[in-house]
Amino acid sequence: MIKPRYICLAIASCIIVSLSSCTGGTQTADNTQQPATNQTTAAITHSNHGGKPQININTAILSELDKFEAKLGVPALSNKIQANRPYGSPEDLVTKKVITQEQFDQIKDMVSVQEVELTGEAKDVDYMTKMGLMKGHLFVAQELLDKDQPKQAEPHIGHPVEEIYIDVEEQLNERKVKEFKTTLVSLQDLVKSSPKSTKVKTDFTASVQSVDGAIAALPEAQRSKPSFVLQVINSLLDAANSEYGAAIANGKVAEAIEYQDSRGFVIYADELYKGIATQVSQSNPEAHKAIEASFAELTKVWPSVIPPTQPVKTPNEVTQLVKTIELNSQKVIDKSSTQAQS
Amino acid sequence: MPNNFTLGKGELWSRRQLLKLGLSGAGVVGAAALVHSLNRESKSIVKIPLMEMDAGDNVTHPMQMLREFDYGTVKQENGRTIREFQLTAGTSVIQLNSAVAYNVWDLNGHIPGPTLRAKQGDRIRILFLNQAGHSHSLHFHGVHPAQMDGVRPVSNGSATIYEFDAEPYGVHLYHCHIEPVTRHIAKGLYGMFIIDPPTPRPAADEIVLVMAGYDVNDDNRNEYYAFNGLPHHYMHHPIKIYQNQLIRLYVLNIIEFDPAVTFHLHANFFDVYRSGMTMTPSEKTDVITMGVAERHILEFAFRYPGKYMFHPHQDAIAENGCMGQFEVIANNSQSLPS
Repeated sequence: MIKPRYICLAIASCIIVSLSSCTGGTQTADNTQQPATNQTTAAITHSNHGGKPQININTAILSELDKFEAKLGVPALSNKIQANRPYGSPEDLVTKKVITQEQFDQIKDMVSVQEVELTGEAKDVDYMTKMGLMKGHLFVAQELLDKDQPKQAEPHIGHPVEEIYIDVEEQLNERKVKEFKTTLVSLQDLVKSSPKSTKVKTDFTASVQSVDGAIAALPEAQRSKPSFVLQVINSLLDAANSEYGAAIANGKVAEAIEYQDSRGFVIYADELYKGIATQVSQSNPEAHKAIEASFAELTKVWPSVIPPTQPVKTPNEVTQLVKTIELNSQKVIDKSSTQAQS
Repeated sequence: MPNNFTLGKGELWSRRQLLKLGLSGAGVVGAAALVHSLNRESKSIVKIPLMEMDAGDNVTHPMQMLREFDYGTVKQENGRTIREFQLTAGTSVIQLNSAVAYNVWDLNGHIPGPTLRAKQGDRIRILFLNQAGHSHSLHFHGVHPAQMDGVRPVSNGSATIYEFDAEPYGVHLYHCHIEPVTRHIAKGLYGMFIIDPPTPRPAADEIVLVMAGYDVNDDNRNEYYAFNGLPHHYMHHPIKIYQNQLIRLYVLNIIEFDPAVTFHLHANFFDVYRSGMTMTPSEKTDVITMGVAERHILEFAFRYPGKYMFHPHQDAIAENGCMGQFEVIANNSQSLPS
């Protein structure tokens, strides 16, 4: 028994030695030095054979990736695909051991890493999520303006334009929504230069109405469908979760902007859930209970728009609540999709 | 030009250095090997002293960063060399000093992001994954088509691919281009991007220095500054180099909010290769002014052993963290030219 153990130890220490010499930054004078990871890959073809709608595995939301999951019958494949991002080529699904070569051959016509034009529900979820993020930003901006904190409000008026608008510009045209970038930009300019102006209030109302109008471009039936709304809610919560993590340092709320962003996203997600709660409680009472309880806990994390010195919950606790909502939402979504199929 | 040493391996690993390696303290996670490698043309040997690799907070890792280059994964596609790099934006907390913790956006778990390196003409493929909450992007300096310019936001949880040819050779950079760009850069989304010339530069001890600022209270002014992520680090942990060894610094100024800073080296003068885009130096100086995003190759060798500081000569900026020193180690086995 002893001998093999020593051998193991010896091997382990060899590994440690070689590892430390690697991480130590071994530089050579030969500037053309290359890593030993040369590999040859087959030429990648990005063309779409057979005209099947393609899914970008780098950006697709879960419900889109579910098409692969359904086709291959691999449980939780959609999450696994998301967890292994980024992909440099469709074949990376195999090299990253997400699926086998045989499985890949069955779906490869549908897999893309290029920008694809979204269609159907996926497109609507993407659109609604971006509008939801804007709503969250504007919500906290409003709160801060009400508290006479225009300086703090300003970044939240800026974010919808800086981070989101460019991504939905085409869709807004398609959906015949009047452009409102100008409205948002002039509101931001106004809050920056003359925050006391009475025009701030009217411009703000106009901005919120624009976003509401853009949301109303989606059919009412879509906007009240639990499986649709839950996908939006989870995208919002995912962003809120990352931002909350970026707000806390050494057990303190260190970054007000990220704290406020996450507050806005969670409050709007909660509002969206209230709109479908009755339906979910009837179709999936268990899932509803879990989601409702988690939201009740989650909304306590942001007691006010001005951050508390001591965080109410740690980023880990927030992640757990977000995961619980996601898990239970998935149950609701799965159930509705099996019903739709049968 | 410095001497090219041709020592045996045994002499390079001095007793003192080996002892140091063995006795290094708890904070030590590894040690840089003493590397002497052959340059194809000159058959010269570059000597790099052994240095302790302190763990830091794992997000900043100034000692490792000095001489660490990411050459990506090399693939051959349609007869071309593709260098594939993976960069993931995340969130983490760094300790600027014992009293100040600060939330940053990191790339592959570190601030600054990795120093990417390729050869002119390589095809570059960047797989960028955003896991940092806000929308982000990666914008590369260099020549590329508009679609690859990296100004479009990549939303949280999504990935995108940037692909372009590595041209022209030089010292370039990459950074997030989402507004406010000042905040997206100052919070950590930047790194150096070196494109090597077709004919390699002479053998040298190559070192990366990135100057950056930290605006910890969002007032659009920097409270702290640093070389390679951590304020004051190289003052307390000097960068060891050998006497008479040719040193090639890749220096980038990515300090936001301050219009320009200088880079000054004590007790020496350096050759300047502007933007690293020439094979012959354009000037020799000991202070060079660099605007935001400006970067150069600076070459020098130290004649005398000892400690020599380097810092911007905007001394307030230096004293708030952008300050370090080289420790020049005597080469006893070599008789010095006088």
